[in-house]
Amino acid sequence: MFETRRISYRTLLQILLTILVIPFVFPLVAMIQGSLAGAGWDNYLTVLSVPLLPGFFINSALVAAAVIVIVLACTMAAAFGFSKLHIAGKEIYFWLLLAALTLPGVVLLTPLFATVTRIGAYNTLWAVILPVAALQVPFAVLLSRAFVDGIPDEMIEAARVDGAGMLRVFWSVILPLTRPIIAAVLVLVFISAWNEYLLALLFLQTPEQQTITLVPQFFVGQYNNDQTKVLAAAVLTGLPVVILYICLQRFFERGLAAGALK
Amino acid sequence: MFRIRSRIAQGVVLGVASVLALAGCAGGNNSSSSSDGGSATSGTVNWWSWTPDNDLAAREIAEFNKQYPDIEVIYKKVPIDNYAAVLKPALASDAGPDVYTVNASGSFSGEAFASYAYDLTPDMEKLLGADWKSKVYDGGVKAFTVKDRLVAAEWAKVGAGIMWINKDMFDKYGVKPPTTMAEWESVCKTFRSKDLGCFREGMSGTAGFVVDTLHSIADSTQPDLWSSALAGTAKWTDPGMVQTLETLRTLSKNGILDEGSVGIQQYPDVNNAFLSGKVPMVQMGTWYQQYATVNSLTAALAGAGVPADTPKITIIPIPFPDVAGKGNPSTMYADPDAGHSVNAKSKNRNAAITFALWMGGTKEGQQVVVNNMDSFATLNGITPQFDKIKLVNPTVQQPKLEEVTKRLGEAKDFRSLGMSAQVSQALIDASQAMVNSDKPAAEAAADIQAAADAK
Amino acid sequence: MTTTTTHRPGTATARRSLSRSSRLHRPSGLPWILPAMIVSVGLLYYCIFYTGYISTLEWDGAAPLQENVGLANYAKMVQDSVFWRSLAHTVVFFVATFVVQVALGLVFACLLHSRLYLKTLYKVLIFIPVVLATATVAPVFRQIYAPDGTLNTILRAVGLDALAQPWLASGTMALIIVISVQIWQSTGVVFVLYYAAIGQIEHSIIEAARIDGAGDFRIIASIIWPGVRGTTLAIGILSAIGSLKTFDIPFLITGGGPSYATEFLGTLIYRVSITFSEVGYGAAISIVLLALAIGAAIIINTGGRRGESNV
Repeated sequence: MFETRRISYRTLLQILLTILVIPFVFPLVAMIQGSLAGAGWDNYLTVLSVPLLPGFFINSALVAAAVIVIVLACTMAAAFGFSKLHIAGKEIYFWLLLAALTLPGVVLLTPLFATVTRIGAYNTLWAVILPVAALQVPFAVLLSRAFVDGIPDEMIEAARVDGAGMLRVFWSVILPLTRPIIAAVLVLVFISAWNEYLLALLFLQTPEQQTITLVPQFFVGQYNNDQTKVLAAAVLTGLPVVILYICLQRFFERGLAAGALK
Repeated sequence: MFRIRSRIAQGVVLGVASVLALAGCAGGNNSSSSSDGGSATSGTVNWWSWTPDNDLAAREIAEFNKQYPDIEVIYKKVPIDNYAAVLKPALASDAGPDVYTVNASGSFSGEAFASYAYDLTPDMEKLLGADWKSKVYDGGVKAFTVKDRLVAAEWAKVGAGIMWINKDMFDKYGVKPPTTMAEWESVCKTFRSKDLGCFREGMSGTAGFVVDTLHSIADSTQPDLWSSALAGTAKWTDPGMVQTLETLRTLSKNGILDEGSVGIQQYPDVNNAFLSGKVPMVQMGTWYQQYATVNSLTAALAGAGVPADTPKITIIPIPFPDVAGKGNPSTMYADPDAGHSVNAKSKNRNAAITFALWMGGTKEGQQVVVNNMDSFATLNGITPQFDKIKLVNPTVQQPKLEEVTKRLGEAKDFRSLGMSAQVSQALIDASQAMVNSDKPAAEAAADIQAAADAK
Repeated sequence: MTTTTTHRPGTATARRSLSRSSRLHRPSGLPWILPAMIVSVGLLYYCIFYTGYISTLEWDGAAPLQENVGLANYAKMVQDSVFWRSLAHTVVFFVATFVVQVALGLVFACLLHSRLYLKTLYKVLIFIPVVLATATVAPVFRQIYAPDGTLNTILRAVGLDALAQPWLASGTMALIIVISVQIWQSTGVVFVLYYAAIGQIEHSIIEAARIDGAGDFRIIASIIWPGVRGTTLAIGILSAIGSLKTFDIPFLITGGGPSYATEFLGTLIYRVSITFSEVGYGAAISIVLLALAIGAAIIINTGGRRGESNV
């Protein structure tokens, strides 16, 4: 991107990057410090020895996986439809979809509870999966549509001239080129699903069903907020997502190469 | 043309159909409550509450199971900030808890959820006799009786109007607990000269601890004015109230109240600062006496993130100083803090009733509650068994704690019962304005009156 | 999948393929968007209509007694000074966060597309704030800005005692702090999106411009910025909606205070619905929020597309 052949310029850019990143790192350092205060690494041990912790972890993973599958399937199809295909009243559907995104969580609780219990999903993971997916889809569609807009129409035309049906166009042309946005949406949706707290608190009654976001609750007493363990729990909860993000870095890169396919 | 129209129509029909289907399905929650309510001595009871903490709940349930081994109680602790939001939809559905704890007032009061509660009067009479009302705290009876139905069985009482001091700090600098404004100023000057805080309070967030401070100042300025204003027989704009607000400003201006109170929260900021020995005085209520015990204080210090060898401070309660200087006695005011409501739709209703009444209506239940030191008993005659409790400094603390118990028994005013959420918020807003701005006290008082009138 | 090598205009083959493609041109996309519509609209539209219905009631959310008061809640809202202040804060919040996040996100994305060292580390550090749940980081920030907190300690240590103040006690500072926490937490998202979008821009164009002698700024202004327009619009819409909905950060750090200096629509709805149990009023504000969000989205989108057609 930037001209980096001259060492002096490269050093300047590196320094600029570092300075810009410092404000982001500072609170993270404070957080790690906070999690080690008092009992030090014992805080982490205490969190890890919360009963049923592996179960919480697995439940969170299941929720996140299910949400990702549902959201990606709906989103990439919808992005393709909105961006490249003909729909009468397209924008109206789009705004309808977006409207679903705008209600704050606290307002959704009562009607969602009625809906979820009526379909018999109370105290099951589906009670969290379905609303989270429903809330993430408009957000993901908005982002993906912009990205798919950037794919040149000629590529699609060329494929169709070759005799490909829309499904094949989608699978073989669109999907490979949208790897970067799929990766981005995947991570962002994963984070939302992984961090979902309010719905998990409302719908998951028994510890066998509960997710990892409810772990800090064990350390929040009525009077006593055991901040050290809450922070330790937060660090542990955040680790899997960071690891996922690092692994997906390659996916971001591959999109660049695919752009050169043309 | 036709194809396009039908496509739009398709979409519209689909949308409307799904909405109608869900609305129609989800609308009616008219299922009748179970007819016989199940057995009274066996079954599973789901208990939701914001209090107590999990370990104390486990102790209480274990004690309960000594008497009723066949009733399984599953406790779900919901953080107090989310409790009302989570309870509302749960009770509206058929899958809500069997027993849910309620407060005397506010967004999760017995009254707020009275429509879901089963009337406990007949079972209470069976347990304690026809004169049961004379055997328990009358405040709880009042708070939890809605339209002649007993919607909750009280089991905890709480009081406020006292302050807590770090006795070690006072002894170290040779100062005595203040009883007047002048003494308070001088005590704070001493502490501040040593780079310590003095009286710290958190006014940020939604918890209204500053309301207690106003209440105490008001009682010192003009007794009974506060309760009259709450009852509507006096106005918040009365001169006594205006003076109360101005006194709060004085506390902040003359070095008594620590700076920045509108930006900090009572929990955890002030709590951690006090318990780790950074601040000598706070205004907390009777629940704070739990930190006179070794166990609770240790847990609190661990939560505050201070090193394990931080010395455990000796805290003692003192009466609120006579800031108005008129010689009016320092008061305490009390509330029923918690009561168990039984969900009328519960399938295990009778077992739920057994549990709900046990905690507040039996000696065993009350003793477990009271021995934890954060709540007082609602059943007459139950006091903490100090021989079973490990205090940090028994010789100094026990007499003071017994004194508070006596004073609490004599408290006649209520702490929050009868105060609407709007008035409480208006009082907090007024306090913030007095401490953080130049707004005239009369104006702030008028705002409180407006909130009281709006109801 | 190979691309065909026809499209030499003027040849018979090209004419035939062109007319064939115009017949196949743009099949219906309706079945493609249906799954998304069913999942989102199906599950959430009941909530929207329910909220709309509740907004015409005076109800505490629990009692069976619901009093229909028509549009009285909306009238109350118009007269509520806290509502207008919340709206003002929302606008300030949106503008500040959008501008700073776009600028920072774009700069980071450009920098990290260049040949620098330790790129993955930087990418991770910028992104970690996104990953952490707000409920767990808010106390950290409260601690940093507390009267005896980290920031003041540092200021005192370097001799800037005069600047040390109770930051959260000042209305203006509290708002700035809330905005800065949001920027801290969301720049990572903007970065990730710009990074993907810039990757879409063809290298050949940039190379050509460089050969022509264009400097870095010129490339950013004339190639990158227009090239990521779609992403910028999407981010704008999401920022607008997010600003309207914002709840966690102000609620957990300042509680909407001091004296409502950091009150937003999200915190107002919570306060009204949960603390005051005025569920009808809260629903009315939510409906207004929904209308404002859609309105903002339409305005941003139309404005953006109009700019596009002018290019």
